[in-house]
Amino acid sequence: MTAALALPIAAIPARAVAAEANEMGFTVLGYKEKGLMKITEPVIWAHGTIQDVWEVEASAAVDIISGASPQLVTNVSGRPVNSISSASITDRRNTADAKVTRRFGDFALSVSRAISDENDYNSRAFGLGAEWSLNQRNTTLAAGYGKSNDRVGSRNDPTLHERRDTKEYLVGITQVVSPVAIVQSTVTRAEGRGWYNDPYKLTFTFFETGIPLLLPDTRPDHRDTLTWLTRYRRHFPEVRGTLQVDYRYYRDDWGIRAHTLEAAWEQAFGERWSVRPALRYYTQEAADFYSPVATNPPPAILSSDQRLGAWGGLSPSLRVTRRFERGIAIEGTLGYVHNARDLRFGGSGSPAFETLRAVYGIVGVRYPF
Amino acid sequence: MKRWLAALAAAMLCGCTAVAPYQRGYLARDDMAFDPSPGMSRALEKVYSAKEAASGGASVGGGGCGCN
Repeated sequence: MTAALALPIAAIPARAVAAEANEMGFTVLGYKEKGLMKITEPVIWAHGTIQDVWEVEASAAVDIISGASPQLVTNVSGRPVNSISSASITDRRNTADAKVTRRFGDFALSVSRAISDENDYNSRAFGLGAEWSLNQRNTTLAAGYGKSNDRVGSRNDPTLHERRDTKEYLVGITQVVSPVAIVQSTVTRAEGRGWYNDPYKLTFTFFETGIPLLLPDTRPDHRDTLTWLTRYRRHFPEVRGTLQVDYRYYRDDWGIRAHTLEAAWEQAFGERWSVRPALRYYTQEAADFYSPVATNPPPAILSSDQRLGAWGGLSPSLRVTRRFERGIAIEGTLGYVHNARDLRFGGSGSPAFETLRAVYGIVGVRYPF
Repeated sequence: MKRWLAALAAAMLCGCTAVAPYQRGYLARDDMAFDPSPGMSRALEKVYSAKEAASGGASVGGGGCGCN
C-alpha cells in the first residue's frame, strides 16, 4: 500500500491537436500471474465538449482481484523465500473519476475528483489544473495540483483504521517539434504522510541460535517522490509508421530509484488497420529498509515485500487496431510481463526476488458521438 | 537534476519549427497522441503499477489504492 495509483486524469494535453469532440469507450483488462493473482477490470469512459468552451471527462472501473498473494518471507529453509498463503483472496475495488475543463482562448482551467473504494482501502482525491498555449499553440505549458486523502484498513484486523494524505504538484511542457514530431515532458512531486505499512506482509527469520523473529511489515510514515516523464512521437509519412518512445525516471525518499523505457512502432496498413509492437523495460533499486531477513535486535523499519527490492522487468506487447466508419475503433492488446532479479540494470538484483511471469489481454472499443 | 531539466526545456523550446495549424494533419493522428484511449491507458497502468515501486508521472489527483 504505497504510492498513489494515478488514474489517467491528465493534467497535461493528451494530444497536440484536438481529436473527436465527443467520444465514449469500453475496455476490459484480463491479467493473470503464474501461480498468483488474477485481475479482471472493466472500464467505461467518455469525454465531450459543450459549447466549445467546456470539456467533461469521466470514467468508472471495477477491479476484481482473486488468487494467492505472497504473505510471508521466511528463511526456514536456509535462504529467504516467499511463502504463498493457502487461502485464496477475492477483492473488489470500485473507482470513478470526473474532470471539468473551461477554456478561455489560450488558457484552460480544470478541476477533477476521484474516488476509490475497496474493503480495506478508501481514497478521495481532487485535482486542479491549468494550461497555457503559446507560440501559435506549438507550445503548451501545464501545471497541476492534487490532494488525496486515503483510509487504510485490513481484512484481518477490524481495528485498523489509519490514514494517508498525499499532495502532488506537476509542471509540464508539450512542444510541437515539426509537422511530424511532438515531445512532452512533465515533472511531478508528491509528498505523502501517514500509514504505509502493508498489514498482510510478514517477515519470519530464523537465526543460528535463539528464537526466530516474526515481524510485521513496517515502513516510514512519509514518502516524498519525484517523477520525470518524457514522451516522444515521430511520424514517418513515407512508410506510414510512427515511433513512440516514453521514458520515466522515479526517485523517492525511501531510497528507490527506478527507470522505465518503452519503445513502440505503430504501423498503419491502409486506412483501417494498424499494428503496434512494443517493448517496455523497467529497473529499480531497493528501498533502504528492504530486507528479506531481519536482524536481531530487529530494526525499527523493515519490509521484505519484494516489490520494494532491486529487480528489473521486460514486457513485450502487441496491439492491433481496427477502425470503422465514423471514427469507431476496436483495439486489442496482448502482453507478457517478466520480472526478475537478473534483469536489473547494471547487475543482479535482490537475491530473494522471485521471478514474476504474467500475461494480459486488453480489449477496447471507442465510439464517437 | 535541475540542470538536466533546464537543458531539456531549452532544447525543446529552441530549434523547433513553428508549425502552422494547416500543417498539423499528421499531429492529429491517433498514433501521435500520448493518450489516445483512456481505457487502454488505465488498464496498462494497473498492470504495471501494482508490482512496481514507481508509479505515476502523467497526472495528479488520481487517488490511491491498496494494490501495492
